[in-house]
Amino acid sequence: MRKTFSTVAASGILVMTLVACSSEPTLDEAQTGDGTDTIELAEFPDRPYWGDTHLHTDNSVDAFGFGVRLGPEDALRFASGEEVTATTGAQAQLSRPLDFLVIADHSDALGATRRLYDAPRWYVNWVIGDETVLRWYDMMHESPEQSQLAIAELITAAANGTVPEALADPEQAAENTKDIWNTHLEMLDRYNDPGTFTAIAGFEWTRMPDGNNLHRVVMYRDGSERTSQTLPFPGLSTTAEQLWDYMAAYEQETGGQVLAIPHNSNLSNGLMFEMTMPDGSPMTAEYATKRAAAEPVIEVTQIKGDSETHPFLSPNDEMAGFGVAGWELGNLPLTLETEPEMYAGSYARSALLRGLSLEQQLGVNPYAFGMIGSTDSHTSLATGDEDNFWGKHTGNEPATEDRAVTPQNLGTRIGRFGWNYLAGGYAAAWARGNTRAEIFDAFARREVYATTGPRMSLRIFGGFDFANEDWDGDWVRAGYTRGVPMGGELSDQGSAPTFLISALKDPDGANLDRVQVIKGWITASGETQERVYDVVWSDMEARARSSGRVPVVGDTVNREDATYTNSIGAAELRTTWIDPDYSAGQSAFYYVRVLEIPTPRWPLFDAVRFGFDLSDDAMADAVAQERAYTSPIWLKSAAEAQ
Amino acid sequence: MRSPNWTHEPIVHFLGLGALVYVALTWGGQTIDPSSRVIDVGSEQQAELSLSFERVMGRAPTDTELDARINQFVRDEVLYREALRLGLDQGDAVVRQRMVAKMEMSASAAAEAAQPGDAVLRTFYEDNADRYSGEVLVSFNQIYFADEASARAALSAAENADPSGEQISLPASIDAESLQEVQTRFGGVFVRALASLEAQAGWQGPVQSGFGWHLVRLNERHRVTSDFEAVRDRVENDWRSAEIANRKSRAFEVLRSAYRIEIDR
Repeated sequence: MRKTFSTVAASGILVMTLVACSSEPTLDEAQTGDGTDTIELAEFPDRPYWGDTHLHTDNSVDAFGFGVRLGPEDALRFASGEEVTATTGAQAQLSRPLDFLVIADHSDALGATRRLYDAPRWYVNWVIGDETVLRWYDMMHESPEQSQLAIAELITAAANGTVPEALADPEQAAENTKDIWNTHLEMLDRYNDPGTFTAIAGFEWTRMPDGNNLHRVVMYRDGSERTSQTLPFPGLSTTAEQLWDYMAAYEQETGGQVLAIPHNSNLSNGLMFEMTMPDGSPMTAEYATKRAAAEPVIEVTQIKGDSETHPFLSPNDEMAGFGVAGWELGNLPLTLETEPEMYAGSYARSALLRGLSLEQQLGVNPYAFGMIGSTDSHTSLATGDEDNFWGKHTGNEPATEDRAVTPQNLGTRIGRFGWNYLAGGYAAAWARGNTRAEIFDAFARREVYATTGPRMSLRIFGGFDFANEDWDGDWVRAGYTRGVPMGGELSDQGSAPTFLISALKDPDGANLDRVQVIKGWITASGETQERVYDVVWSDMEARARSSGRVPVVGDTVNREDATYTNSIGAAELRTTWIDPDYSAGQSAFYYVRVLEIPTPRWPLFDAVRFGFDLSDDAMADAVAQERAYTSPIWLKSAAEAQ
Repeated sequence: MRSPNWTHEPIVHFLGLGALVYVALTWGGQTIDPSSRVIDVGSEQQAELSLSFERVMGRAPTDTELDARINQFVRDEVLYREALRLGLDQGDAVVRQRMVAKMEMSASAAAEAAQPGDAVLRTFYEDNADRYSGEVLVSFNQIYFADEASARAALSAAENADPSGEQISLPASIDAESLQEVQTRFGGVFVRALASLEAQAGWQGPVQSGFGWHLVRLNERHRVTSDFEAVRDRVENDWRSAEIANRKSRAFEVLRSAYRIEIDR
């Protein structure tokens, strides 16, 4: 019996080597380049293109350990709408394809767990010769549960800087990274189809001092003709400034472009958006300039929670606190608790305010960022849909039926439960067409926005002379020609800025409850303020403001069968809005938050599908108002604008 | 001269090479009978150990390293045979799963690396004509109403003049866009309803969407044929994906056919 197995397996490997030598792949320039001049472009960005910039495959050291066996090709097929078989066996497909995908595997130890797993035990035992690595190796082979536990230990070790050196032999790692990277780039080009589906190269830079999450997704504008001249930059052993230097060097050497997207600031214990340099000294203008140039956009919402704001920071914002439960307790591996004074450095709104402060001091704003959502899925399956949630990692794919109510990572992270995971978000990019260059450029000019999953279309234009009559004509043209879109800057002209705001519901999703403008500003004396304005909402006559508040929209969710009806809310909400609290010379930012009517979250779909009861805590969070956040428009005082 | 078709069958390579390896191993006297109490570490076995070291380390082992590997081999072999005697390979889910995975991998690895020629891809393209028969492009005008009654009222008045609807941020006209693109903008319900409309037949509807109700004037609906060259990359991606699945299932079928399965009902 044993003989048969080994011979058949061996012959299979021989076949592989024989077949590998035949004709070359045929890729044209449209696929290997940035897509410039490959398709006809619209005059103005015409619709939001939908994507995920943060997907992990079996090349990620943790994703493989968590059990995923799908690689980049399955990831690309799934994102472009094809059906694939998930690691745990079920068929997986998106109800609507995505327009673009960034596969962002961890640059550190790229492919390392897959290689470790496949290595002979004698090699691990003798050559690597590290007890911890050998123990992880054995755990990975013992069972899926043990494998997940091993990876939880590995992440904690990475957070504490105690990853065994033997596991990260730099020479071996560089060689492997090069192999994987080049194979990967060729695969991306094969699936890159200008006008239909854009496959974007990237990686995740995974720095986390003491477990405080400073991770960035790095994405390139270019195809393999340029990206093959570089390698993903390691994160565990480098600083953010070194990353920006690496990015600048890439641009200089290849003529390409690259940007970085910070994520999970909510798990950074205040380190993502500091008022100082990382070493505590006063921030320099040089540092602020570098940061602003390298990081035009942050990922504000994803499976591991939402980083828009925290109720502690925004006590007057009754809609604050979405996706905060569990995550607010501490840093990424929960090795350090979060203290309330850390929140201001961990959430986007307070960071935007800090940016105004720093700009007042330094003349440059390091935190003038736009916002997107993504998944951070470790299953190779890029889905942010509540009714199609494939889990944070393979250990909580739907095959694990009680995933909503079990502790995360087998209880090593006290206080975080399955239901704390969000289904993940998407990035929407206002581009003139679907190519690498067009999508990237939308990110670079911050004409992007975040959603927690639904695909609502959201526009905001800022200017000084918008009026209600603009809605009767070609208001998009008016917006672009007489103002700036989201991500843009206005310079103060002595009168209140006006905004054209339109929010159109997801055509296959829930109606809209309300549109809010969040304004942040700084006074001449350096004090920062924030205010949330309800600017337009459904059934405005029936829901007149009472004591300054817009009444809640209602709730149609049936908890028994996880359904809702669009009998409340609106299909589209639009308004012309003038800042009622404008004061000349004030520096400010304005971004839009749109809320859907309440809908079931994934734990409720699970509870109905698998027939179990959610815990009281999970049930209280089983229905939510999904939302979108636009990138801000900044109003710069005349002095700053010069 | 062309070789007969069966020689191109992966399963033939698979089994043929399997047979070769089997012959080579038995001829060389390398097969190990787990019931034997003799462990022979001959020169060929030593060369094998040396080679596997070299593959990983990029250099030949020193004598000390080779001795250590031989000792390890003997130790592993003793324990392995004892484990087989005790039947520890039976009923262990992990061992079972790893062996299954290894079999699956050996069947699919060839397809992952293969570079199919044009002929192969053309055949795949023709065999899956439906998939590549081209997109349906539609051109239409639409007018939006929040509720059905207003839409119906506007339709009955539409004979005299073009109806005017309510404001919504959707394009009033769509010019030769794919159904996929229309679905992105108008949603699945609308696209499905579009299929039942007649082209060049004036204002029709109302058609429901996730937004409300629409009067639609369908100007054109036509299928664009995409020739092989235009979709070659997609064909290759699809071929590879299908080929991996096929090889797995064909390899399985061959092995499966040697078994008689009895399931008590």
